[in-house]
Amino acid sequence: MGMKFRCERDILQNALVSAGRAVSTRGGALPVLSGVHLVLVGDLLTVTGSDIDLTITVRTTVAGAEDGVAVVPAKLVTDIVRSLRPGAVDITMEGDELSMVSPPSEFAIRTIPADEFPELTAPEGDAVTLQGAAFRGALQQVVKSASSDDARPILTGVLMAAEDDGLRLVSTDSYRLSVCDLAGTSILSDGQKVLVPSKSLLELSRLIGDSEELTLRLGQQEASFEVGNVSVTTRLIEGDFPNYRGLIPTNHPNRLTIDRGALLDAVKRVRLMAQESTPIRLSMSSDGLELVAVTQDVGQAHESMPAAYQGEDLTVAFNPEYLIDGIEVAPGDEITLETVDELKPALLRSVEDEDFLYLLMPVRVS
Amino acid sequence: MRLVIARCTVDYEGRLRAHLPEATRLVMVKADGCVAIHADGGAYKPLNWMNSPNRLVMDDHTGVWTVRSPKGDVLTITLHEVFSDTAHDLGVDPGLRKDGVEAHLQELLADHPGSIADGLRLVRREFPTDIGPVDLMCRDAHGVAVAIEVKRRGEIDGVEQLTRYLDFLNRDPTLSPVRGVFVAQVIKPQAKVLAADREIDCVEVDYDELRGIESPNLKLF
Repeated sequence: MGMKFRCERDILQNALVSAGRAVSTRGGALPVLSGVHLVLVGDLLTVTGSDIDLTITVRTTVAGAEDGVAVVPAKLVTDIVRSLRPGAVDITMEGDELSMVSPPSEFAIRTIPADEFPELTAPEGDAVTLQGAAFRGALQQVVKSASSDDARPILTGVLMAAEDDGLRLVSTDSYRLSVCDLAGTSILSDGQKVLVPSKSLLELSRLIGDSEELTLRLGQQEASFEVGNVSVTTRLIEGDFPNYRGLIPTNHPNRLTIDRGALLDAVKRVRLMAQESTPIRLSMSSDGLELVAVTQDVGQAHESMPAAYQGEDLTVAFNPEYLIDGIEVAPGDEITLETVDELKPALLRSVEDEDFLYLLMPVRVS
Repeated sequence: MRLVIARCTVDYEGRLRAHLPEATRLVMVKADGCVAIHADGGAYKPLNWMNSPNRLVMDDHTGVWTVRSPKGDVLTITLHEVFSDTAHDLGVDPGLRKDGVEAHLQELLADHPGSIADGLRLVRREFPTDIGPVDLMCRDAHGVAVAIEVKRRGEIDGVEQLTRYLDFLNRDPTLSPVRGVFVAQVIKPQAKVLAADREIDCVEVDYDELRGIESPNLKLF
């Protein structure tokens, strides 16, 4: 089936990059999934990438001349389009080759049989509208705490659950736990909860960008998000999320209140000496906060900073990367770090915003 | 193991629909019912496959094979021209040799069977059966025989292996009934489902903890 259209390089590149984020990088049972699926009907070009678990479809307007369908190697085509000079690109499908012409460059690449591309259906439930910035912010606050270990698939997901009059997002990799509440966002019925792969939500948060709103459709096994001209469909994870509520200590006798940006900068500096999986130590007292990192045979770093502290003098060690993740995503200028002792989970929260919490297990040190 | 080399088309309908156009491929039907379609490339991944349990109907008159999973997924293989059709009895596979961690894990569990279940006591390591030795044979608090298979990473293959041992062990009236326990550092969800279906208990153990090493990285759960 032939296909012919003209399109601005930047528009085509954006569509290929967005859809390409879902393209399978693992190869696997369906080699066709290493390609992007192009469908031209009139002036509407639809570009789809999928690894079965995650599907991203971008719809864009081009100057169509002849309808058609093609599957082309995703990375190769994206690299080619990215390398072209700015301006229009003429795309023509002839036989099993796709030619791309943007003078003085001409490329012809072998396509992948399009009938091998799986037919993927999106859920058809009622659409619910979400505020783009708020949802993106919430996703960014929770996706990092999800596990990347496929051996524990439940922990690779973000729990989305109806909570009071809003939506609660929860993730944990068993070392830390993030909880974010979106008040007034009722997309689930009472008691309903779904587990969405964090990888899909990470891609979604990138695609939301500055969009004011997005829509969500929930199916039995899939969830589909629409952001402008892009739709993201992801399978849901089956299984029961850990009972996280019991993990959050109700009483923290020690409380450190500190400027978020200053702490983030200091931890990033001191972390440079926390090599080979060594932790960073936080010594808290009425004098303030002291950060120390020591790596044997390499060196040490030390930094003191002002902070308000209530409680007993205490030194707690943390994985510096996990600590940075929590500080980075906490909203507001000022945060609190509440602790029980050097072995119990610490609670990081924003002073101004009670809708976010980050629970972090310490690292045992001798 | 039945091996058919044929010019065929393959259609899969389930969570998604996939079509393999007409081409020459290898179709494997394994003794446990697994069906896999291979192209002439790639190290191990088939183009399409259906795990057991499933229902395979081979209509040699029309050349259409239909493989149906319990969930309703259907794999339809249409054979247009058969070039080779052979069958071989491969017998029982002895499985992979254990690596150092796995062997050490077995040794530690033999020393501390109570870390698998309270009241468990060791009868013998490498307990012999007609198809190879089971890692640990124990008795529980009620005197019931317990066959334990130890893996570093618990996958479906390990459950299959333990199932075969249990089949043989339960033929011995001096041992029967023998229940099975599948032990690993991490057990994959699919393996847990299969084990539960076969009434085999799954236990995940911490290698470092068994060695008496407390991880400095504390966990929430």
